[in-house]
Order: sequence, then C-alpha cells, then structure tokens
Amino acid sequence: MSFGSSSRTVQGVLLLIGLILGWSSMAGEPGPVIPKGKGEQCVAETDFMRRNHMDLIVHQRDDTVIRGIRDEPFSLVECVDCHVQLDEDNQAVRIDEEGQFCASCHAYVAVKIDCFGCHAAVPDPVVPDPVVPDVAQQDSVDGSHWLPNKQLLAFKQTLPTAVPPALSHHKNEADTVRSE
Amino acid sequence: MKPTPSDQNKAVSARRSFLQRLGLLGAATAVAPALLPAISRAKVTALKGVSDEQRWGLMIDTSKCATGCDACVRGCHDEHGISSTGNEHTDAQWIRKIDLQDNLTGQESSLPMMCQHCDSAPCVDVCPTGASFKRADGVVLVNKHTCIGCRYCMMACPYKARSFIHEPVTDQKSLAPRGQGTVESCTLCVHRIDADDDLQPACAVSCTEEGHSAILFGDLNDSESDISIAIAKHDAQQVRSDLNLNTGVRYAKL
Repeated sequence: MSFGSSSRTVQGVLLLIGLILGWSSMAGEPGPVIPKGKGEQCVAETDFMRRNHMDLIVHQRDDTVIRGIRDEPFSLVECVDCHVQLDEDNQAVRIDEEGQFCASCHAYVAVKIDCFGCHAAVPDPVVPDPVVPDVAQQDSVDGSHWLPNKQLLAFKQTLPTAVPPALSHHKNEADTVRSE
Repeated sequence: MKPTPSDQNKAVSARRSFLQRLGLLGAATAVAPALLPAISRAKVTALKGVSDEQRWGLMIDTSKCATGCDACVRGCHDEHGISSTGNEHTDAQWIRKIDLQDNLTGQESSLPMMCQHCDSAPCVDVCPTGASFKRADGVVLVNKHTCIGCRYCMMACPYKARSFIHEPVTDQKSLAPRGQGTVESCTLCVHRIDADDDLQPACAVSCTEEGHSAILFGDLNDSESDISIAIAKHDAQQVRSDLNLNTGVRYAKL
C-alpha cells in the first residue's frame, strides 16, 4: 500500500510540473511580429483596422469596380504602399511573403489571403524616395504607437452621430444630404 | 341612451382633428414626390461614382492608322503590366492590330481591335455570375472578384476581344489587378478616366505620341463632344453592325 501511495504522489507532482510548464509556455507565446508601417498613423485606429479591415476591403471593392468610386478614404493600394518593407538591396518585398505585414498575422491565425493573386503585392516601381526599414522599430502586437488618423477624425466630425466611421460612412453621407 | 351635448362636442372635435390630420397627410403626399428626385440626385453626386450622363467611347480613324504600327498595343500593355508568359498562344491580348485587304479593289487598311464596349453586350448576357457587366457610363468590364473563369463570355464575344489568364501573374501594376483563372479585356482605362476627365486611355495617348492621332476618346452622349462631331462627320461605322450591339467603338473610313 505504501508503494502505491508514493506512486500516486509522484504522479501528482509530475502532473503539477506538467501543468506549470504548459501554462508558462502558453504565457510566453510571442504572437505575430508585425513590421512597422510608414508614417505615424494608419487610416484608422489599430484596433478598428485589426477587426474590420476585411469588411472595409470587401465593401469597397464593389464600389470601386462597379460604381467607379475611387476617392474613398481606404484602399488596398495604400495598405501596400505604407506597409511594404524593403530588403538589403532596397527592393520592395511582397507584402504576402512570410513575415511581412499581411502574411505574419494571416499565417498566425491560419486564414488564407488571395488578394495578391491579382493585386500588386509591392508598390509600383516609380516610388520616389524609398525609406530604409528600421529593424529596431519592429512593431509588437499592441501597436500602441499608432495614433488615430487626423483625416479620419475630421471626417468623423462631419457625421451626424457617433458611429463606427468606416462601415457606415455611405449611409451617413446620404443622411447628411437628406437632412439639409 | 341619448348623447349629451358634451359628448357631441367631443365627437365634433375628434372629427375635426382627424380631418386636419388627413389634410396634412395629403399635403405631405403631394410634396414628397417633388423632393425625392432631389434627394437621390444629391446622393449620387455625394458618392462621385460613374453615371449614365456620359457614355465613353472611341472613334478609330482607319485612314490615319498606319500599317505595321503597334504603338497602341504597346501603350496598352505597358499601362496594364501585360507581358508575355513565353507561350504566345495563351498570352493576354486586350488590343490587337488587324490588317485588311479588299479582295475586289485591293485597298488595304489597318485598324486596332479591342472590346467594343457594346450597349447590348453578349458577354454580359451569358455570364453566369454577373461578373461580366456594363458600368453606368457604358464601359464593359469583368469583375474579377466574381469571375469564375468559365469563358462563356469569350465564346459569346463576336470580336474575340477577351483573354483568359492561364498562368499565375506577378508584377501587376497597382491600378491594374490581373490574375490567373479570370477573363480580362480592354477596360477603356477606367482607372485613368475615373481619376481625371482629361486623361485619355493609354492607347489613344500612345497613338497621338506616335504622331498618328487615329484614336479619339470621348463622351458619345454629348453631341457637342469632339468624338460625336467626328463620328457624325465621317459617318463612322460599327464593326458587325448587323448584330445591333450599339458598340461604343466606331471606325471611320473603314
């Protein structure tokens, strides 16, 4: 009996060690490392973009292709322009390549992107002054240094009510006109 | 039970307010239709999309188009990042040059052939997903987001104006997305004409730069526009006018 009891104690200790190890490895999960974009701010707040960028893109593609509306505040071309990284030879790296802005998160959450089967994954080569990437300024997941976009804030102020700006801007533009 | 005078007064006042409200409703109904068009017009201008006020088109003056010159083809392919895949038979071709000879008179002519941006486009009729569509301003396009690559539109097109992309595409231009498994054709350079009314499609620009000025771009709906005046002056024809497609591309002196 005493043998059995000590065996149970060993089992318990092993289980405890296993749990601690498992928990500590989970807590140390680094998450995707997202390269920093150009400039000080994105077109909208980081949290909003993280949750809603796909809706913005899908919503706007029909407006652009079918209705020819090309002056909206969001565009896939601008995503690429700001977030593309340059290699040692100052050449733009495809944004859907491993470790790059789009691919790092999408690989982490295992969501395939097919945007760049058709859309350009690097800016057009006539970019005037390419910025050398600053490796020290790699952005962590929180992205806290991204400030809200002034242009978008100004746009928000023209809206009649406080609503998530991007998804409802059409409706509200129409509402504004109607109320005049 | 007989109604008291106060009950009668109440009934009269209720009837009066009912009639007043009815009158207001009538007035509102009469005014509303007058307001509606104003609202919908305002919405359209606020969104700055395309409208059917314009119908964009081209006129090709075949007497100015030079045999052996392919400036328009090169201009188009540069603009949209179209390059050879090494397999000539399946290369994309948005615009091509055709040389014609009249068997009777021996008269030779040369012309560019591309999507004719038909008003009643057969490609739009046959598309099973609605990916092949005509914009409000008459430009016929493929919405590659919904194109499934079935190639029905290519079979329907009388002008052989469309190409299927067999191989993966890289190095696209940012304003001209192109990809494997979809059909594509001349877009009348919508990315240019949407951006600025003064911008011309790349083929017309290249032709002018080459010194031929055989391609004229403009608004077919505006009878005062250069293109409308030129079409009327030269009695510019539709290719396969027997099909009654009301094409947006017209050929002069054919």
